[in-house]
Amino acid sequence: MRAVLATYSRELRAYFFSPLAYVVLFFFLVVNGFMFSIIVRSLSDPSAPAGPPLAFFFGGFFFWIILLLITPVLTMRLISEELRSGSVEVLMTAPITEGQVVAGKYLAVLTFYASLWAPTLAYAGILAYNAKVDWGPVAAGYLGILCIGGLLLAIGTFASAMTRSQLVAAFVTIALVLLLFVLGLIDNLFTSEITKQTLGYVSLVGHMEDFAKGIVDTRRLVFYASASWFFLFLASRALADKKWR
Amino acid sequence: MIEAQNLTRRYGDFTAVHGISFTVGEGEIVGMLGPNGAGKTTTIRMITGFLPPTSGQVTVAGKDLFESPREARRQLGYLPENVALYGEMRVEEYLAYRARLEGLGRSEVRGAIGEAAERCLLADVRHQLIGTLSKGYRQRVGLATAILHKPSTLVLDEPTVGLDPKQIIAIRELIRDLGRERTLLLSTHILPEVELLCNRVMIIDRGRIVAEGTPEALRERSVGNPSVRLTLKGAPDAGETLKSLAGVISAHAGAGAGAENSAWVVEYAQAADPREEIFRAAVARGWVLLEMARERTTLEDIFVRLTTHDQAGEPLSSDRSDPSDSAPSAPPTEEVPS
Repeated sequence: MRAVLATYSRELRAYFFSPLAYVVLFFFLVVNGFMFSIIVRSLSDPSAPAGPPLAFFFGGFFFWIILLLITPVLTMRLISEELRSGSVEVLMTAPITEGQVVAGKYLAVLTFYASLWAPTLAYAGILAYNAKVDWGPVAAGYLGILCIGGLLLAIGTFASAMTRSQLVAAFVTIALVLLLFVLGLIDNLFTSEITKQTLGYVSLVGHMEDFAKGIVDTRRLVFYASASWFFLFLASRALADKKWR
Repeated sequence: MIEAQNLTRRYGDFTAVHGISFTVGEGEIVGMLGPNGAGKTTTIRMITGFLPPTSGQVTVAGKDLFESPREARRQLGYLPENVALYGEMRVEEYLAYRARLEGLGRSEVRGAIGEAAERCLLADVRHQLIGTLSKGYRQRVGLATAILHKPSTLVLDEPTVGLDPKQIIAIRELIRDLGRERTLLLSTHILPEVELLCNRVMIIDRGRIVAEGTPEALRERSVGNPSVRLTLKGAPDAGETLKSLAGVISAHAGAGAGAENSAWVVEYAQAADPREEIFRAAVARGWVLLEMARERTTLEDIFVRLTTHDQAGEPLSSDRSDPSDSAPSAPPTEEVPS
């Protein structure tokens, strides 16, 4: 546990000591703030359809674009940088297992990801100041953000453990995330009921819509937890495998 | 204490290390010598648990490295060949991180950092970013992390490579200091370093141990007869006289005397020391003795002989290579800085 904590705090520090963190945070807030203001303005129009503003905010087009772009940026150097620089050698000769390294690093990137979203809580505050907010769907929406982000970051961590090149890691991450994303969108191409259901089970977009409406389905939570765990397990195996060559 | 048994490592079809076995005892400093690509780093990586061997066993301080890796690694401090550090961290932060990674408690961390930083002469850069440090300082940070958790065993892979002479002296002093109370395995291809620091030497070539022993024992075992090198002013026909002296086996003309002087290499039997006789002979015959020095076979000679291969891949036999000719010239001993 101590080893996981040591890795976690070092990794988190590395994020906040690099300019990358602030660049990402800046643009993240600019884009999200812009989206939020557009949503609020269009919903203020009396002719607009009624609905909670944050439901449009979560799960909108920009939401997915941001997620797709941010995941590889956050995860690409996580392990591949250690492999490239050779610091993995002193790391893996310390009394720490591959699983602990992956766990520490993953928790760090997850924390950083959460801290990217934290300022958007202010939007809910602004809405609450001006109107009545139903807090259930808001909380569920943030839970969805954490679940989906957690899975994508686990995929990115896995890709980063596979290669010493950050570029390759980023590319593999984008490819895997896109694949997963698209799988959930093409269910109407199939006629077989089982295929449709299976694809529906991994439909990120569908899940996020539910979360934004305030629906927290335990099947979804199990799916995200187990899928994230699976990719983290693969990441620790990939890191162990690096030693054999 | 390190025990390696039958360590073998293959990379695909290529066998980098062939069944190496050795022991490094408590309080011993053992040097691992070998040309580049001999398998030193592969061996070291197996001993430190970074690289799993294809077959074989390693125990560190009595703990099996593969059955109880954590306990074994806790006893082990490791300085790899390329010290890779996190450039964005300050020295002190990095040491604190490593200390916690090694499992030191909150209360122990501070003391451990202070001690390691002091021993490795890092006190004046403690708050500096690692990325801004010179190579010598980085090496010292690497060493500091290796001794941070007070391991009983240290493994250092080429600790002085790429340093300037002053830094080399400082690092060597530190190594000698550390070796007093620990088991220490040192890999290097710098021969004087081994003679300076090590109680025992292993010479590795093509993945096998080709010689092992104290530097003195290796020297004695592999050398033929000792010899004395002379430079005389004039006296081009001194050879006959020299040959007739007691204990002398042969005397032949040496090189590098210049036109007016003559140089001689006088080979003599192990037990004899003909230097006094030579001096008396010179006085009796009126030779002007410009130089007389006993030639010591250096580790370098042994090393070159054991690791030079002809085209068939066999080591050159000792009678084919006169060590004084084939070895690149290097002083047999180096000035030991105090």
